[in-house]
Amino acid sequence: MKVRITLFGALRDADARGFVELDVPDHSTIATVREALQHHLREHAPTISVGLVQRSAFASDDEILHNHRVVPDNGELAVLPPVSGG
Amino acid sequence: MTDIHTAIVDIRSAPLDPAAALDFVSDPRFGGIATFIGRVREHNLGRVVTGVSYDLFEPLALRIFHEIGARAQSEIGGPVKLYIAHAKGDLRIGDLAVVIAAATPHRDEAFRACRLAIEAVKHEAPIWKQEHYTDGHSAWSEGCSLCEEHKEAELLAMKHSGDAHGHSH
Repeated sequence: MKVRITLFGALRDADARGFVELDVPDHSTIATVREALQHHLREHAPTISVGLVQRSAFASDDEILHNHRVVPDNGELAVLPPVSGG
Repeated sequence: MTDIHTAIVDIRSAPLDPAAALDFVSDPRFGGIATFIGRVREHNLGRVVTGVSYDLFEPLALRIFHEIGARAQSEIGGPVKLYIAHAKGDLRIGDLAVVIAAATPHRDEAFRACRLAIEAVKHEAPIWKQEHYTDGHSAWSEGCSLCEEHKEAELLAMKHSGDAHGHSH
């Protein structure tokens, strides 16, 4: 399935469009998507630290999705680097 | 949830409004109001800042603001009204970045609810700050990981260092 990952914060530098699209097996977990995103960034955005993706969370519009969760059916995800509001 | 107001305000349309926060939490039941206002400051870590840009994942940020409000109500265990608003976009020095107001019958619960809310907004809401410097460079601020495994690692580091927050922000 195709997943569309919206980028925020420092990860916006990875793609000027503000998102990346990846192909992952159906019913993949977030852990699988994390690995796929790290692989993608190593090839397409080498200036982004791999550690940043490791410290980032994934989320739907409604909630944080931890590593064991499955990708939502609509394939829409956001990747959230460490936060710094306020 | 009419006792909780949350907002993300695009700085291009309007600044944050502390008076609106006070209006919202004012209530004949409440004798104490605590507010926290966060403003953009001129220096950070020894560098002169010219402005900051805030990036937010809005649907989730609003949902988390509500969860924080509900948690504050549950912690206080009595009536409380809470206002949480955060700015979005490009802010200059002195612009308001965040406004929190909490009202309760007495001052102690108001201070506690306000403190709980601002700390949770800083550590849990999907918001990112990019600082711009006089030399033309920009940098995203170091932040708090929302990732489960890293949260645990940060908590552990916090216990070892004896620091109440484990980091400087």
